[in-house]
Amino acid sequence: MKYSIKLALSMVVLSLIFACSKSDDTDYFALDENLEVSIPANFPEMHYDISKNPPTKNGFELGKKLFYDGKLSSNGFISCGFCHEQRFAFTHHGHQFSHGIDDLEGTRNAPAVQNMAFQSQFSWDGGTSHLDLFPIIPITNEVEMGETISNVLTKLQADSEYQRLFASAFEDGSVNNENFFKALSQFMVMMISSNSKYDKYVRNETGGEFSELEKEGLGVFETKCASCHKTDLFTDSAFRNNGLPPYPGINDLGRAAVSGSTADHYKFKVPSLRNVAVTAPYMHDGRFGSLASVLNFYNSGVQDSETLDPILKQNGRLGIALSATEQEALIAFLNTLTDSEYLNDKRFAEY
Amino acid sequence: MTTLKRFQYLILAAGLVLTSCSSDDDATQNLTGENNLRIEFDNSVNGDDLLLNSSTYTNSNGEVLTINRFNYIVSNFVLIDTEGNEYTYPKDDSYFVISEEAGLSEITLTNIPAGDYVAVRFGLGVDQEKYLQGAAGQGDFLQLAEETNMMWSWLAGYKFLNFEGTFTSPTVTEATSFQIHMGSHGSSLDNYKELTLELPTNALVSSTLSPIVHLAVDANQILDGNTKIVLSEKAVVMIDEVKSPQIATNAATMFRVDHVHNGENLEH
Ligand code: HEC
Ligand code: HEC
Repeated sequence: MKYSIKLALSMVVLSLIFACSKSDDTDYFALDENLEVSIPANFPEMHYDISKNPPTKNGFELGKKLFYDGKLSSNGFISCGFCHEQRFAFTHHGHQFSHGIDDLEGTRNAPAVQNMAFQSQFSWDGGTSHLDLFPIIPITNEVEMGETISNVLTKLQADSEYQRLFASAFEDGSVNNENFFKALSQFMVMMISSNSKYDKYVRNETGGEFSELEKEGLGVFETKCASCHKTDLFTDSAFRNNGLPPYPGINDLGRAAVSGSTADHYKFKVPSLRNVAVTAPYMHDGRFGSLASVLNFYNSGVQDSETLDPILKQNGRLGIALSATEQEALIAFLNTLTDSEYLNDKRFAEY
Repeated sequence: MTTLKRFQYLILAAGLVLTSCSSDDDATQNLTGENNLRIEFDNSVNGDDLLLNSSTYTNSNGEVLTINRFNYIVSNFVLIDTEGNEYTYPKDDSYFVISEEAGLSEITLTNIPAGDYVAVRFGLGVDQEKYLQGAAGQGDFLQLAEETNMMWSWLAGYKFLNFEGTFTSPTVTEATSFQIHMGSHGSSLDNYKELTLELPTNALVSSTLSPIVHLAVDANQILDGNTKIVLSEKAVVMIDEVKSPQIATNAATMFRVDHVHNGENLEH
């Protein structure tokens, strides 16, 4: 209810803007308009409050330009898009650990950037619970972009193109951190992947015909995987230890690094499995090169520890029993999660 | 304090006495308009001046500290008057960094409605409500925090307290660095604390009266408060499920009102 009032209000504001600018010099910048954010029928509720930052055409375009701009880094070359490539569902293809400034390597694999507006925790350990503020983490990380927010803003403020774009996207028009973060969020909020074969299958749309093997795979997934890889986002946004033996020499504690709690040792955010066929390598440390290896791991590689998720030690067995036929079916199913519309969507493309 | 100021107090006090005879709820009625109220944060260590990279301070844990950095965030100011009415300073403007190294030691609350204030309440740190406003809520405070070493960048959040230096103890004889960074732990642990301080003298605000509340802030409380935080056990405390909340609770006891200056255009 509240929301529709706000929408109505923003329509009024928009029409006022339109009304005024008609008489003004019209070619100064393209008029802004609200973008429609439609929530896919098979998705849970959106977590991001778009009434606080409704995506607009100009805000989105500004966010996209920022996402692909090396100015956000200290050497001018490392953009968000450098580690998040569209063809690979915005992951860092071919890199187990993402590298950034001066080729310094991090210790984690870049997760897919998609459907962020539906998630409540960001990064493998949930360092932040607000999408708007997330970019602080890569920008200031000395092995990623190695910059400060203040410096980024100084650079943008000195750039006449950005001055114009900020002015066209936001009411107060200033190049400040609020509008900077809002624009990046508007871009990411629009990045919705919801048109895989699987989506069409559950929505009974054409192009969603499943083979017997795919149906069987879905069945296995629902009984053995969906308790963590929940809903059509394929994550429950919870932090869990799925039994990976700690990576030698890194010993990433995961969620415990944020909470300080030993009960959170080796827990990581359950990742979405959308587009999983194109996001290899897998896990927070990118240790597995193929989905077959992931399934072998669940079947026979799960390591017990105090924080291992109880779901993975039931009936006196570690891990998840998966027969060869089940594994084959699961892989066929996981392949239906590839959304080539998303991977090729011009709206999100760098060029 | 100069004699002139004492004289001003006398006049003020006399004024109050006179007005209180004339009606029941009185003093405040004569205070009209609005003005600034300043709060001075005078950092010290157990009664001594806090000097960075200079003096050494010995605490009851038997540890000898040199302090290189002492910064903290104060926020969400509320003024409480004689009747118990609360004036909440506008939230968006109610976040400040106090930093010994940056020379940030005083805050000015502007447009405070006239009143006879008996207490002040404020927060140490940044509350979750503010954080979860996302881009819209942080304003320029985010950059101030970054520039004063109070951004907790790997959590995209804030350090509420940044207390650093070196120490020695009977067991740690070489000067060893210590770092106490305290803030909320993502969504899992909220370390924001609020505290209320009674004013020993009421702070009077009106169109002609603009008081200064002088706080004495005792950094010794951080490690040597109710719960003893022993650096020899752990010299770098940033994210610790047990110690971080203890440090937050200790730090909330650092503040004491030393005195209140009432009057016009005060210098102190
Ligand atoms: C150097 C490579 C690199 C750069 C540059 C980079 N990222 Fe990332 N990104 C990563 C890695 C690695 C992670 C996982 C971080 C972690 O868990 O600690 C990540 C995580 C994320 C996530 C969270 C995804 C999730 O599911 O929790 C988002 C959103 C994101 N990045 C957006 C961005 C944006 C926006 C930028 C530019 C401001 C950016 N990234 C720049 C490598 C990078
Ligand atoms: C107990 C909860 C749980 C169950 C059950 C579970 N997973 Fe996972 N899964 C996780 C967590 C947590 C991670 C991330 C672990 C890490 O990186 O440390 C993960 C990671 C993955 C990844 C890697 C994704 C990427 O982008 O890196 C794949 C693929 C995967 N799981 C598939 C499955 C399949 C298939 C099943 C069922 C056979 C399954 N999972 C069952 C919790 C679970």
